[in-house]
Amino acid sequence: MRILSLMAFRNLVQARRRTLLLGSAIGLVTALLVLLLSLSQGIADNLVKSATTLSAGHVVVAGFYKPSPSQAIPMVTGAAKVEEVIRASTPDLDYIISRGRGWGKFVGPGGAVQSGFAGVTLGNEPRFVGSLALATQDEYKEGGKHEILGDASRLAEPGACILFVNQAKRLEVDVGDSITFVTETNDGRTNTIDLTVVAVARDLGMLSSWSVLGNMESLRKVYRLSDDTTGAFWVYLKDIDDAEAAMTTLRVSLAQAGYQLMDHDPNPFFFKFETVGGEDWTGQKLDVTIWRDEVSFLTRILDVFNVVSVFIASVLLVIIAVGIINTMFNIVRERTREIGTMRAVGIQRGAVLGLFLIEATMLGLFGTSMGALSGSLLALLLDALAIPVPNMAMKAIFLSDTLQFAVNPATLALCVGVLTVCTGLAAVWPAVLAARLRPIVALGYTS
Amino acid sequence: MSAIVELTHVVKDYPLGKLTVRALHDVSIAIHAGEFTAIAGPSGSGKTTILNMIGCMDVPSEGTVRIDGTVTNTLGDAALTDLRLNRIGFIFQTFNLINVLDVYQNVEFPLLLQGTLSASDRKKRVEEMVEKVGITKQMRQRPNELSGGQRQRVAIARALVTNPAIVLADEPTANLDSATGNAIIELMRELNARDHVTFIFSTHDPKVMSCATRLIKVADGKVQ
Repeated sequence: MRILSLMAFRNLVQARRRTLLLGSAIGLVTALLVLLLSLSQGIADNLVKSATTLSAGHVVVAGFYKPSPSQAIPMVTGAAKVEEVIRASTPDLDYIISRGRGWGKFVGPGGAVQSGFAGVTLGNEPRFVGSLALATQDEYKEGGKHEILGDASRLAEPGACILFVNQAKRLEVDVGDSITFVTETNDGRTNTIDLTVVAVARDLGMLSSWSVLGNMESLRKVYRLSDDTTGAFWVYLKDIDDAEAAMTTLRVSLAQAGYQLMDHDPNPFFFKFETVGGEDWTGQKLDVTIWRDEVSFLTRILDVFNVVSVFIASVLLVIIAVGIINTMFNIVRERTREIGTMRAVGIQRGAVLGLFLIEATMLGLFGTSMGALSGSLLALLLDALAIPVPNMAMKAIFLSDTLQFAVNPATLALCVGVLTVCTGLAAVWPAVLAARLRPIVALGYTS
Repeated sequence: MSAIVELTHVVKDYPLGKLTVRALHDVSIAIHAGEFTAIAGPSGSGKTTILNMIGCMDVPSEGTVRIDGTVTNTLGDAALTDLRLNRIGFIFQTFNLINVLDVYQNVEFPLLLQGTLSASDRKKRVEEMVEKVGITKQMRQRPNELSGGQRQRVAIARALVTNPAIVLADEPTANLDSATGNAIIELMRELNARDHVTFIFSTHDPKVMSCATRLIKVADGKVQ
């Protein structure tokens, strides 16, 4: 094995121009794949961040209250007792927040937007202010100053709200301006409340188009809710990867505590209105989900992005594989007499096969390592450059105003491993033909 | 004394398109251990075909080939390869060294394939062999840094390093000038005389033929 590896290495060094060209081609495919997967990882990181800031905790305990079979209100009643059960039975709990849920029209001088109204109790969310990046005035107002106006901590004030850049632009409002929230209350009447914009936050992708952050008291007031109601409990764990297990535990505990539970449906709560509204029950049922369920419509976009990335890389890999096969055939042809000599001296067919596979694998390892390294460096550079995403549709997909790349070492190792193995596999056919050469034929070969 | 190489009524046919060309006609040869045998004849006479039969690189169409007591006709590729590795050494007209390995590694190559000696024993054996053929100073050079004569010495060392029963040399001096060729033949004779290695070589050079202790003349695929 040592001598075969040495021969393979020296053969690659001897044909250094060919090695560099083929290695560069393999490296380019690897770099492209690493770049696409880093972009995907960047989107995924943004998704987790925006999802767990705007839409969900790691685990979500929400529910629907149905005063009549046809009416479904996204509300948890008897919230204090539900919270007690959650606190008592969640393993590795970090903290819990409760968020009110509303939906309606926000009207400003420039127009109106339909959006969710997230009711925040700032006193219970010590990390809330730090989780939002506030925008400078020129980001949402033409001719505005390049300075941040407003203060997210003012959300504790009665009637306060925080808009995102896209909403502030559409409503044409600035910090300090008033907007009106118009909604239908649980008894079917229309109600309104005036809100004051206390800060404008940078967009967090698609989710920030559908969420205005407001004071929980304002939400209770407009919907005429009691203090012991909330929209959902967002449960944060010490490790987000434990979310699924925690959800299972919580479902059991809540059921044991006597609460009715909805079957697990891995979709956001607003997808469930129609189903729940059509069900023949009244009263309250709790719905326990994890963050991924609440943004499942976005993770599907991410899945498609990943599939497209792997497809592009696979097509390029097939092209490279054809190149490798062709090159290996040339190498076998060039070294036919050497194969004959080795066979005459006493090398077995399996070792000849091994020699060519080792050579191709070494070439693959060289190319993919270089590609992974350069792809990672390029991804880090592009991330540092914070290239702006040009339009809303792309912002929605990338969940960010700028292109964000995140290099994951495990993904890098996987890229290098898989592409190296593919390179080795591409050499199997020429290597088998080399191994099957009869020594007498190989020795008599004249190139 | 039984023969180390025994060809009995060997016939070899090669297909050539729709025709069949007979390269050997009923060849019977017996060569004993320690002989220094030349197979002589003009080009196309069948010398190389006989060497290929003896070297287990080819099998006869008819007849029997027995090498060191083993009938090779019915052996599969792996068994023939084992026989070549352990019982036969090869010296080629064009040296056929592995270009990416240095002298030491070329000579060590068959021992690594055998895998029976420890690293220190292997080193000792290779160094002894390299010294015997007089290329100790070139031990870390690659074949393309050597003269033709030096390359053939490396090939001889590689052929002998496994202590084979037979060493086959196909026109070993054909690509060398006469002085170097004489030196190579002299080296082979010396090894034959001192270590009793059985050498069988093909040639059409009368000067080389005269050095052999036994001469087998071949013409038109027949032993004369």
